[in-house]
Amino acid sequence: MLSELARKTHLYEFHSQRGRVVLFAGFEMPMWYKGIIPEHMAVRNTMGIFDVTHMGRVLITGPEAEFFMNYVTTNDVAALVPLSAHYSTMCNERGGIKDDFILYRLEREKFLIVPNAINRTKDFEWLVDQSRAFNVKAEDVSDNVAMFAVQGPKAEQTLQKISSEDLSKIERFKCGWTKLAEVDVFVSRTGYTGEDGFELFVWNTPLSRPGNAIKVWNAVLEAGQDVGIKPCGLGARDTLRLEAGMCLYGNDIDENITSLEAGLSFVVKLKKERFIGKDALLKQKSEGLTRRRVGVRMLEKGIPRPQHEVWKNGEKIGHVTSGTFSPILKRGIAMAYVSTEHAAEGEIVEVKIRDKLIKGEIVKFPFYDVTQYGFRRKT
Amino acid sequence: MMRIQDYEIPDELYYSKEHEWVRIEGEYAVVGITDYAQKALHEIVYVETPPIGSKLKQMESMGVVESVKAVSDIFIPVSGEIVEVNENLAESPELLNKDPYGAGWIAKIRPTNLKTDLKNLMNAPQYAEHIRRLEEK
Repeated sequence: MLSELARKTHLYEFHSQRGRVVLFAGFEMPMWYKGIIPEHMAVRNTMGIFDVTHMGRVLITGPEAEFFMNYVTTNDVAALVPLSAHYSTMCNERGGIKDDFILYRLEREKFLIVPNAINRTKDFEWLVDQSRAFNVKAEDVSDNVAMFAVQGPKAEQTLQKISSEDLSKIERFKCGWTKLAEVDVFVSRTGYTGEDGFELFVWNTPLSRPGNAIKVWNAVLEAGQDVGIKPCGLGARDTLRLEAGMCLYGNDIDENITSLEAGLSFVVKLKKERFIGKDALLKQKSEGLTRRRVGVRMLEKGIPRPQHEVWKNGEKIGHVTSGTFSPILKRGIAMAYVSTEHAAEGEIVEVKIRDKLIKGEIVKFPFYDVTQYGFRRKT
Repeated sequence: MMRIQDYEIPDELYYSKEHEWVRIEGEYAVVGITDYAQKALHEIVYVETPPIGSKLKQMESMGVVESVKAVSDIFIPVSGEIVEVNENLAESPELLNKDPYGAGWIAKIRPTNLKTDLKNLMNAPQYAEHIRRLEEK
């Protein structure tokens, strides 16, 4: 046990017996079971399952739920029909990102927001605070719901084997109810890997009664055995999301970086009448950005890591916020913030790794070839 | 060969607290990282070796080894000049995982202070005890 105060999920026994457990955002979670690279490759080639119960789950209900969510988040909530979802951000008054998440519309007047693990308390307090002027209720149901991500090109066919409903009818960013292994599960076609796949919510399942969560987890593992499903840890979750170009809160985005600088303008609807951070973001847009989040693919040997400096023509132009070895590209990749004049695709930059300047190229996300990997692949 | 838990500890080598090993081969010393080190790092994806000809003092950094998640210094266990490095590690860093005491060797050194330096290192039983204590923590 890592700490008396550490929290566990329903699957703790599985994780501790089968994997290397680490403390992450206050939870004892698996870093890997067999290894980051085989787990990463399983998701890209066939499928994997992740326990993501450490993330938060907050319900927003009431007559003004849509109005309120449109006010606290940056994307267009009015465009969300029931049983659909979108990626979004929540900003402070300065346009800085309080969190990034997927927002689900369960019903006309009922939304589900899934905050990052490290932001669970902060987000819930912010939502409660902001909701006072609205006819809505914010309820933290995190501890009553287990959540798994089932990701990879074989995810649909495998889940279908144990599903009561036709999962092919649930398109990307849609959601719905089904029974998996006889257990009621809310499923959404979303994820954090760049691959096709689903996220599963096992409701009414507190830690004290983990039975249904364990049942679903084991049923998915068994159903995926013939395609080589692997249970995957946080290590592969991080390398997968980085290859896909997705932000990690606390590394790539935080309250001092705006949604525009992070390259998330596609979820910032400045035409909305009113939302927290709008004025600051409008001002920043009209003045122009000074820095931008970019992808850097290393052209020489070396692995970029957070805080490494990015250089160009003998001048420091930014820094790395996430970096790793890409199992698909078999080279170093990074997310970095660089000054706008050097942020164009194709620009050659240098990353300072242990006092050496190592060449890299600014590339667009995702890092991999989308005809071969990811949900848009041509099978 | 000694073994403590899952970790192999060959009898004939010398060991540093930082988990490097030394094998004396005539007038040279061959160095690498131990089985314990490679298992702690797990999937090694990059090794940076020192330039040939570098002269380093015992326990100065001679390079780094990186796994997917972590970066670790490799400390030179005996003072001396680097006369050869394992070129295969550039393309196959996983040799450190597969064969840490053999094909995963890192560098060959011409020692300059071997007798004294060896006194600062551990033999196999001492290193086994060192690991046992680390594992208790």
